[in-house]
Amino acid sequence: MTEIHQELHERRILGTELLWAFGVGVLIAAILSMIVFTALSIGVNPPSNVERLDPKALHLSGEFAEDNLGTSVGSDGRVVVRVIATQFAFLPRCIPVPVGRPVTLRFVAPDVLHGLLISGTNVNTMVVPGYVAQVHTEFTRTGDLLMPCHEYCGLGHSEMWATVQVLPENQFQPDSNGRVSCAQR
Amino acid sequence: MSDSHETPSIDRRLLDQPWRFWSTVAVAGTLLGGIILGALIIPVVQGRSAGLDAYTAICRALGILPGSPAQPQPSDRVQRTPVSQVVWTSELLHILARADPARGRTKALESCAACHGETGIAVAPDVPHLAGQSGPAIYKQLSDYRTGSRAHDLMAGIARALDETALADIAAYYAGRPMRNPNPATLAPAPAEIITLVELGDPRRGIPPCASCHRAGSGGPIETPVLAEQRDEYFIQQINLYASGQRRNDLYARMRTIAAQLTPSEIAGLAAYYRAGFR
Ligand code: HEC
Ligand code: HEC
Ligand SMILES: [Cu+2]
Repeated sequence: MTEIHQELHERRILGTELLWAFGVGVLIAAILSMIVFTALSIGVNPPSNVERLDPKALHLSGEFAEDNLGTSVGSDGRVVVRVIATQFAFLPRCIPVPVGRPVTLRFVAPDVLHGLLISGTNVNTMVVPGYVAQVHTEFTRTGDLLMPCHEYCGLGHSEMWATVQVLPENQFQPDSNGRVSCAQR
Repeated sequence: MSDSHETPSIDRRLLDQPWRFWSTVAVAGTLLGGIILGALIIPVVQGRSAGLDAYTAICRALGILPGSPAQPQPSDRVQRTPVSQVVWTSELLHILARADPARGRTKALESCAACHGETGIAVAPDVPHLAGQSGPAIYKQLSDYRTGSRAHDLMAGIARALDETALADIAAYYAGRPMRNPNPATLAPAPAEIITLVELGDPRRGIPPCASCHRAGSGGPIETPVLAEQRDEYFIQQINLYASGQRRNDLYARMRTIAAQLTPSEIAGLAAYYRAGFR
């Protein structure tokens, strides 16, 4: 092969390589900007709360004892929802929340890995035994939303779902203990 | 031809130099960009809407500061008695694993056989069979009778007279007894909707398949009792107690939520299915 030939050959390879590098670069940039955009515009982020709790004794813990589960409004007006994700149900199975007010959701699991999302909202988290999964959010529309378990947790996984009832302010009525229950329909 | 093979290596390295330089720049640039986005820009912008100052937001993104609130939340309601006091700690599992069935047999003959039978096959219709029942299930129920989590005058008194090791020994003895053979007289073909409930559950009502917990080796909760060949009278009675909330020692309301949704004919069908003795 002559010098000239070799030179031409090199150039062609270089051209193809640059073309591919450009294509891949565009793809990566597009995906990354999507992640950055959702993170900045609709607040999608990995839950950052690190809080440990013994998963074997949740029923003896004050906070996640059965009587304390569900939606409650503190004296400062803060809405806190406490839910247990267990094989194969959420407890409680219907969760009332107010529309247009900040809500703190706190989930724990006593047995295996679970996960959940609330359809049409930015709530989407894993529930890892031993940790409290906490999500802050605000619901923007009234109506019933589906909350399925989205992490395979055993043979009854596909029957594991709950309902989130987003209520208008006049129907979101805490009782004297600050507890709110789902509206009966 | 041969000449291209003998190009001095120094030339090649020179030829490579810009490539190495620019690929290093690209990798380092991506890394730096990622760190700036993930550890600085995104946490600061997101933290602003959560009312966090920049410093706290960055520390939390790096995992140096825990998220808020890091303190356990106080329960904002007067605490009632927990549904059960049983905690499956590793010490408890050790006690169960070291239980002695021979010692358990002696105690069972003394204080249980009159009602539950020597081998765990009870005679009276409202007394459950214990033969082949799972050890953790027997232990949990005895423990709950003892602490009052499950109410029953007779069983509470009997369970209170026994200590932890005795409970474990007796549980091991009855768990080791083989269940009865399926009784041909009870083997009627089960209706399709009952088999569906057992095998597939009912997603619409949120009822998981009974077999997802009650079949041996299904990976459900450790305290799940074996239902195969259980008496139907006892079965129906317990489902009704769960449904009405009179029995509430099931952790996380696992059985109460399910039982409350079953219709009387489903309950009867399930009881007949399980009495027949398959799984
Ligand atoms: C006087 C009769 C009687 C005696 C004696 C008795 N039991 Fe029972 N046992 C019952 C009855 C009746 C029930 C059902 C109670 C209920 O409905 O809660 C029961 C329930 C149980 C259960 C719950 C079973 C399940 O599937 O949930 C266990 C476990 C048990 N007994 C173990 C024992 C052991 C161990 C002894 C001996 C130390 C014993 N029993 C002695 C009558 C008796
Ligand atoms: C999520 C797992 C799970 C599923 C699904 C489930 N069970 Fe249970 N079941 C349990 C556990 C755990 C217990 C024991 C609760 C306790 O500690 O008292 C139990 C107890 C029972 C008992 C009482 C048994 C006894 O010996 O006292 C009956 C009867 C029963 N289940 C029937 C059913 C039927 C019928 C279905 C299906 C419609 C079903 N279960 C589905 C977990 C489950
Ligand atoms: Cu799940």
